[in-house]
Amino acid sequence: MAADDVSRPQGHPGRGPEAPRLPAGGRLARKLVIGAALAAYSWAAASTAAFTTGALLIVLLPGAVIAVIAVWRPSNRIPPPGRMDVTGFSYWAICVAALLEWEASAFKDNSSWWHPALTDLINPLIAPHPLKSAAILIWLLAGWALVRR
Amino acid sequence: MVTRPVTIIGFAAVIAALVALEIIGRRRTTRVPTLGEWLGYLMRARAGRALILLGWLWLGWHYFAR
Repeated sequence: MAADDVSRPQGHPGRGPEAPRLPAGGRLARKLVIGAALAAYSWAAASTAAFTTGALLIVLLPGAVIAVIAVWRPSNRIPPPGRMDVTGFSYWAICVAALLEWEASAFKDNSSWWHPALTDLINPLIAPHPLKSAAILIWLLAGWALVRR
Repeated sequence: MVTRPVTIIGFAAVIAALVALEIIGRRRTTRVPTLGEWLGYLMRARAGRALILLGWLWLGWHYFAR
């Protein structure tokens, strides 16, 4: 998918195409710093216990940052496709619907051992601290990818 | 019980299908959009953008806060 910038309305506080760009070395350094900060945040966030204020805050903080970026300072947006092939999209819709239906059927059965919900399968997988850190990092990167759309 | 493996296989099959669709969508000659493309299409509208971002936030809360 193309990664061209989307033009912004005049006077928008976001970074416009006229904003000075960092040299290649500077951009790489900036990415490394941001990557290290996100990894450190994920590592620290993974140490919070579930159902605590800290656990809630480690989710709300990135949510607030993403909301601020989305509303007030949009990043260089990736332009959406002008049209969507209905047949092609229907394959996705069927799979997503199947996933939700499979999850709903497990939820309806109170997520018992013999019919576990996806959450019951994923939670033990991300219980170890490094894996939970990686999961949080992926979630943060997904948020960044979404706000660029 | 045999139903637990069936449930897990069901989840694995659907997730594998989603991964396969993403791989197919990345080929040049295909009508299948990538995940990013159809999400981007849905996020053209402000409401769609808000709903998708709320879904992302809900996922984080569901898996990491509770």
